Amino acid sequence: MQPSDARRTPPDFVQPIPTGPYRGLNPTTKLVIAVAEALVAFTVRGWTGPLAVLLVLATTAVAARLGRRLVPFVIATVPLTASILLVNTFLFPGATDVILRIGPFTPTWSGLEAALQATLRVMAFAMSVAVLVLTTRPDELVADLERRGAPRGVTFVIGATVRTIPRVVQRAGEITDAQRARGLDTQGRLWRRVRGVLPLAAPLIFGSLNEVEELTMALEARAFSAAGRRTTLRVFPDGTGQRQLRWAAALLTAALIVLSIAGRLAFLP
Amino acid sequence: MSWLSRQFSTRVLVLIPIAIAINIVLGYTVQTVLKLPIYLDSIGTILVGVLAGPIAGAVTGAAANLIWQYAPGIGGGSIGPFAITAAVIGFMAGLWGYLGVYRPRPASGARLWGAVVIGVAIILLLASRIYNNPAYTDPNIGGYPDWVFTAAIVIAVVASLSVAAFILIRRDAAGAWVAAAGALTGIVAAIVSAPIAAYVFGGVTGSGTDILVAALRQGGADVYNASLGQGLFSDPIDKTITSFVVFIILASLSSRVLARFPLGERLVRPDTAS
Repeated sequence: MQPSDARRTPPDFVQPIPTGPYRGLNPTTKLVIAVAEALVAFTVRGWTGPLAVLLVLATTAVAARLGRRLVPFVIATVPLTASILLVNTFLFPGATDVILRIGPFTPTWSGLEAALQATLRVMAFAMSVAVLVLTTRPDELVADLERRGAPRGVTFVIGATVRTIPRVVQRAGEITDAQRARGLDTQGRLWRRVRGVLPLAAPLIFGSLNEVEELTMALEARAFSAAGRRTTLRVFPDGTGQRQLRWAAALLTAALIVLSIAGRLAFLP
Repeated sequence: MSWLSRQFSTRVLVLIPIAIAINIVLGYTVQTVLKLPIYLDSIGTILVGVLAGPIAGAVTGAAANLIWQYAPGIGGGSIGPFAITAAVIGFMAGLWGYLGVYRPRPASGARLWGAVVIGVAIILLLASRIYNNPAYTDPNIGGYPDWVFTAAIVIAVVASLSVAAFILIRRDAAGAWVAAAGALTGIVAAIVSAPIAAYVFGGVTGSGTDILVAALRQGGADVYNASLGQGLFSDPIDKTITSFVVFIILASLSSRVLARFPLGERLVRPDTAS
């Protein structure tokens, strides 16, 4: 679609298969671990769940030498965590253990505790996303899922979405520039910006929808809906150990969720 | 099973990634570039639901939020856990599409004015349900600040005037149906979102609507009711606007294009469908 993009990076299927600690794991293993971490961080309440997950994540991040590339993911959570800390610390319903009074504001200890726990949960979730994204390319994951027999529709939707987003972002930028060159105001007052929605959204939506027909024909011409499995070009290393790790992570997470819902984990801090 | 596989024809599978990209890019543009206090991040979800059916809509909604969360570059934030809400929105859009809510209904005279009255009445009824909701008036649960009520009245009046103008200018009675469908979707979305926001994020989501949550908490509402109050405020407005946007998109596409989708025959005018 964009010849300049094609020249900048080689196509996905000639990229080397990643190696090294954690990075070298099978893409599906890394996905299972990331989902398990996110679920445990959210379902095991209190301090234990988020802190345990963060510990695991810190270990894997060090092993995979992610280092400073995690920083943008931490910064991305700041609006959310700042909001959580402010609203909960100052406006926690029913809390009476006031830390100190600053005019009409009364921060409470129970509010601060809830806020810190929620912040840790969000951090654990964001880091689980970051470690997966920084160690696994989407096309590797899709290729491995397809090799395992995932339905073609599923792998196509995941892969095509990841490829479509940058193209639509680029098109949105081009449309914004084109409309600005024709006098569209994207920085003025509210009403002017409201009027800007239509000249930006309409070409974006209709341009994208026009592609549906072309893509459908192109896929059908290449036997997209033909029955049977296709051969895969790249095979990612996998082993008994990793299979057991995946099952262990899935079963442990399921057990923790059930125990948490049943209220059996209340003894944890 | 043929009912299910019919919703996932090759054409729909091609539409889903584009719809997800529209969700993400338009939502990002409206919220960040134009800095407007609405989301507009479910246009693609509702579009797929209406064109293809409830399950395809639900899949699009859930996949949009999960991929948005995990996509390199634009990922992060708090969107992932709300995949459940997005799935419900897509599912409901599929039901509306199946029921033919989005089919143009050209009308004139008494029928047109009847649609105006019905559309305005539905908006005002929904607004009064929120206005009189015990969660907002009972001092034991809510006790919200006064400006919430003023804002609710202003929004209800503006929304009903817009619906009336839309129906009259387009001479299309379907506007009333679309308004009702959008508002109902928004209410359900708010009810589904509130426990997620309260349980996962302690009630706030890091966006502009947190001010509303803080105001409701100041008034004495607990975490869940503050999230619900905020949701019942923002979601019906957002989903009604989104539904109208989808309606305009569908009306601008040719019958030939629409009819190729699984629910296409329910979206084109009866006189052009032959």
